Amino acid sequence: MESSSGVRKWIEADESAKELLSRVLIQLFLPPPLHNFPFRLGNVVEIVGPSPSAKTHILMQAAIRCILPKEWKGVHHGGLDHAVMFIDLDCRFDILHFSRLLEHQITIAEGLKFSEEIDRDSLGGYVKNLTSMCLRRFFYVRCYESLQFLATLKTMHTKIQEQKENHGVGIHMLIIDSIGAFYWTDRALSSLTLGDTNRKGLSLQAVSDTVVEELRKLLQLHPMVILTTKTVNLQGRCLKHEIKSVPRNMSSRDATFFRATRSKPENNPYREYMPSVWQNFVTHRVLIRPSDDENQRPPIFSSEWLLPLLNRTDRFTFGDKYYIHTIILYFGYIIFQFTYI
Amino acid sequence: MAPLKSLEPDYPIIDSNFQQFCASHHIFSVEDFLLHDIYALELSTKQHFDSKRLEEGISVVRTIMEGLHQPWLNGMELLQKAQGNKHGISTGYERIDVLLEGGLFQGNLVELVGPSSSGKTQLCLKVAANVAVNNLGSVTFFDTGNSFSPKRIDKLLDQSSEPAKIKTEEVRRRVMDKIVCQSVFDIYVLFDLLHQLKSTLKPVTGSSVQMLIVDSISSLVTPILGSGAHGHALMVSLGFLLKELAYEHNLSVLVTNHMVGAEGGHLKPALGESWKNVPDMRLHVSRDCKSNICSMSILRHPYITAGKAVMFSLK
Repeated sequence: MESSSGVRKWIEADESAKELLSRVLIQLFLPPPLHNFPFRLGNVVEIVGPSPSAKTHILMQAAIRCILPKEWKGVHHGGLDHAVMFIDLDCRFDILHFSRLLEHQITIAEGLKFSEEIDRDSLGGYVKNLTSMCLRRFFYVRCYESLQFLATLKTMHTKIQEQKENHGVGIHMLIIDSIGAFYWTDRALSSLTLGDTNRKGLSLQAVSDTVVEELRKLLQLHPMVILTTKTVNLQGRCLKHEIKSVPRNMSSRDATFFRATRSKPENNPYREYMPSVWQNFVTHRVLIRPSDDENQRPPIFSSEWLLPLLNRTDRFTFGDKYYIHTIILYFGYIIFQFTYI
Repeated sequence: MAPLKSLEPDYPIIDSNFQQFCASHHIFSVEDFLLHDIYALELSTKQHFDSKRLEEGISVVRTIMEGLHQPWLNGMELLQKAQGNKHGISTGYERIDVLLEGGLFQGNLVELVGPSSSGKTQLCLKVAANVAVNNLGSVTFFDTGNSFSPKRIDKLLDQSSEPAKIKTEEVRRRVMDKIVCQSVFDIYVLFDLLHQLKSTLKPVTGSSVQMLIVDSISSLVTPILGSGAHGHALMVSLGFLLKELAYEHNLSVLVTNHMVGAEGGHLKPALGESWKNVPDMRLHVSRDCKSNICSMSILRHPYITAGKAVMFSLK
């Protein structure tokens, strides 16, 4: 009797088709320069660029979009209403800066100006309360070496479970800044394989294998978007300008071939150093470069999708810090121009 | 990392039976566990006669792992911690403090980059003197090139904005006592000293500041960079150790990096590409060759845009 009720319970519908679709088809729309695609849970996005190229800043903006509510007390904030987990391998994240960015993002909400409920006196309280609510669903950990990173990943499932039970908000985004942080230290790792030759030795390859394997398992249990950065050294900056046009007299098929072969150096304007197991794990890759003119203030960056390969470059800027007079530029990410190659 | 056997006294569940089971999967230490697929391991306990106990053992190892990384904190906890602990430390140069919006901060690793005699050491000494004279806390000065000079500090004390404080010889001595200088001539000694410091540091109490200065870090690191990947690994792990000391123990860490000639007669930092994303803050110092006027510009800062600069006089 007991077992049959168990079976009945198991086959009972616990979710309508609509619920299923809304669960499976979740799309995350992130702020520029990640705006070109809606991301699905399970995507692994890698932001590649030299240091500094505002990569961490892009992560912060994406995290803010994620933890902000869609609407709060009748004011539209356009957030995704989810929790974010941030694993900091670069160990440079500044919470004061992050909270300031968040506060600002809250205050620029259009509806706040016209809301009848929130007058000027209660505005401060509104911003404060919403900021602390958002910050409570932002989870942060620092790792100073690969073993700490592995320990974090291995125990993350329980952490996410716990958070889901306590707060009732799902986690849709995991951020890792930056994936290559321990490259040099891992490369020099070698543990003595005493007694047993089958014992796995600690090495760059072994660490990367385990990281990818753990993340894969985590994605199965908790579907989410993984957002990572990778610091690279750019090789020869002007490669991009060398291939400007396809010779006129080519047939379209030749032209495609031409582009595919000629643009090869452009596909890899930097030296790849992460093991291929990681490279194959990445589903989306965007390259950020600072503009050639280094004295440009505020600095302008260009972004270019390498995976999937889009033949276009977007330019964007952040303006000057958080000063009031340039604040719109900073947060609005004004897209200066689109150049199609 | 600890072999499983050494865990037995604290965790009786990790008994010889469990160790044997792990050994059959080539696992001998917690470190091996980190590289192993624990889910697969859990599945393989099913075939074992004592599967329940083994599973329990694995879940104990899981809790041990949780202790191996820093705890997860939510944004609010982080913010409260930062607001309570991350205070600005005046450098003694008003203009620099204004540029950096409050000076150097606790919890940060700050790097000064500049050619020789651009005022890097002078700045370090000034910060040290300033911390000591204003009774803010203590300073540990790791000197790699015999550049530390108590006489200079003494002079700097005279120039201090509140000379009344340091009139008496006794007060002067007390101030000097706050600054501990140690000569370091190779990177391994530096690692030793930093590990010692890490083990002796007490949890933060009140508003007392601890400052750590390494002048210059580049002269210790550049000799080992030639040895390839190993040298880079040492450099990067030194960076992480300094960041850990700064952030977890709330120290303010200041290091200097000299400059060397590069192609086309330009100067470039001795510690370059692989180092430049290590510090929280990177400041460039340069000096007009004839005068005492220096300029400082921001190369990297958590939130201030790179390129902002200020002039100051060394005196």
